[in-house]
Amino acid sequence: MNSNVSRRADEKKLLDVRQLNVIYGKGKDSVHAVKDVSFHIKPGEIFGLVGESGCGKSSLGKAVIRLTDPTSGTIDFNGIDVASLKGRALKTYRQEVQMVFQDPYGSLNPRMKVGSAIVDVLEVHKIGKNTTERRERVAALFEAVGLDPNWAWRYPHEFSGGQRQRICIARALALNPDLLVADEPVSALDVSVQAEILELLEELRAKRNLAFLFVSHDLAVVRNVCDRVAVMYNGEIVEIGDVADVIDHPQHEYTRKLLAAVPSF
Amino acid sequence: MKSKSQSLWGDAWRRLKKNRLAMFCLGLVIFFTLLAVYGEIIYRYHEIRDITPSYQLTNLDAAYEAPSSSHWMGTDGLGRDVMARLVQGVRIAYKVGIITSMIAIPIGVILGCLAGFFGGKVDDFIVWLYSTFASMPGLLFILAIAMVVPDRGLLGVYLGIGLTTWVGLCRLVRGEVMKHKEQTYVQAAKALGLGSGRIMFKHILPNISHVIIVTFSLRFPAAVGTEVIMSFLGIGVQGEPSWGLMIDSARMRLWQGMWWEMTFVTIALFLLVLAFNLLGDALRDALDPRLND
Ligand SMILES: Nc1ncnc2c1ncn2[C@@H]1O[C@H](COP(=O)(O)OP(=O)(O)OP(=O)(O)O)[C@@H](O)[C@H]1O
Ligand SMILES: [Mg+2]
Repeated sequence: MNSNVSRRADEKKLLDVRQLNVIYGKGKDSVHAVKDVSFHIKPGEIFGLVGESGCGKSSLGKAVIRLTDPTSGTIDFNGIDVASLKGRALKTYRQEVQMVFQDPYGSLNPRMKVGSAIVDVLEVHKIGKNTTERRERVAALFEAVGLDPNWAWRYPHEFSGGQRQRICIARALALNPDLLVADEPVSALDVSVQAEILELLEELRAKRNLAFLFVSHDLAVVRNVCDRVAVMYNGEIVEIGDVADVIDHPQHEYTRKLLAAVPSF
Repeated sequence: MKSKSQSLWGDAWRRLKKNRLAMFCLGLVIFFTLLAVYGEIIYRYHEIRDITPSYQLTNLDAAYEAPSSSHWMGTDGLGRDVMARLVQGVRIAYKVGIITSMIAIPIGVILGCLAGFFGGKVDDFIVWLYSTFASMPGLLFILAIAMVVPDRGLLGVYLGIGLTTWVGLCRLVRGEVMKHKEQTYVQAAKALGLGSGRIMFKHILPNISHVIIVTFSLRFPAAVGTEVIMSFLGIGVQGEPSWGLMIDSARMRLWQGMWWEMTFVTIALFLLVLAFNLLGDALRDALDPRLND
């Protein structure tokens, strides 16, 4: 496939991952968690990533946001290869791509007021002139994720799981990123709360043209919210395409197995 | 939404308040602290006025007097009031406990944080360093440092104790930081572009502050005990009344029936050590973040 063929404007790529490998450790004990993975995400697109536990979804997500260092391959973001960024350049990249984690309980520092943690982030990135201005931004972020801005000055243990996940989303939005890696963002939540959070994500996509790398093992959720989806198996992407095509007409045997395991499909 | 907006320290305080023994120990600790402050004021007052304080005045006519209404704890071999000297001894004990903590705790915390957070070669080096320190016989090492320090006295005691007692805390902090490093909130902080120093000291450290507070309250009496032993061996305080010196001088006359000096100093030392230790244990329980919610 030649990537240089001229494309239509709407085919512009936000993120373009090529031949990405993540290997943990060295020698005999090494784990090849991500194998030669290539995919791309367009601006404002919700890209799903499904597969069984341990297939390397989180490793791929963490490599994209550079929490783990990829062993080889390229990660083009807006035309710049970020796979080996360091120092200040990496810090700038942090403003483009953010992450929401699965566990809303462990994701917030228990000894820090939730708003203070966000003020801290703004401070580090020199966003806002002073603390007053940063606090105003925090209030606005809280409103954007559907929380009472006055709650920002409370400790995490006072919030429910769904509220915590909203706070995590607010924190991720503080840097105004273009891509959000959401690693099973709703799987730790009650079903009714799940729907609210998913609604919020779709609203953010609509309002901010935010793109998502949406990691999930719940095919029903993926079918509902994602535009395209990749199926991962044993570190490799075995199938990739529009969500309707992949889920309704699976080509790869593993995808069929995965679908068969879910009663509603 | 939970209605009460309590901080975690507030929760810990509520739990501590329910523990009668701990509150009694806290009372004792406050009492000793006030005595130490009082002792310091007395010392400063006499220093500024340039007069010899009464607890230093010798009066051989009144030597070895048993406890009485004029000397509640009796007098020592030079006729000095044991109670006054005991109170001044609290001041020295606190000085040793606090100053050695101010040396040992930052070393332990900083090295523990670095080792736990960065791992790899940094960790290897720091583990090697504290293993080396830990493998040396403690008191001998303290004595060696104290001997090397030029004008003997308390500086040697401070450095000796301070430079040898950071290992336990360093180990604890290292382990805690390793645990927290894997937690999602630290991963999130990294992803948000926060620097290592900020993550270690502003984000992780408050989560392990209970370890530091508990360590402080447990090592404090240990340091006081070590000072007593050193002064007893003649390598510590000179001039000022310390419990170690008092025990040293009292032991000579114990067999002649002069029991009061030894008894009261021992009781004071025992109470101080016990109060700090029990309070430390209670704090450990009250501050344990796992007990929250
Ligand atoms: N830091 C690490 N060091 C070594 N091996 C790791 C590390 N992180 C993950 N692995 C291994 O890499 C493989 C992929 O793990 P990963 O967490 O990416 O899977 P996953 O698809 O996200 O699974 P799950 O659905 O359970 O979250 C697993 O075999 C895992 O044990
Ligand atoms: Mg995972």
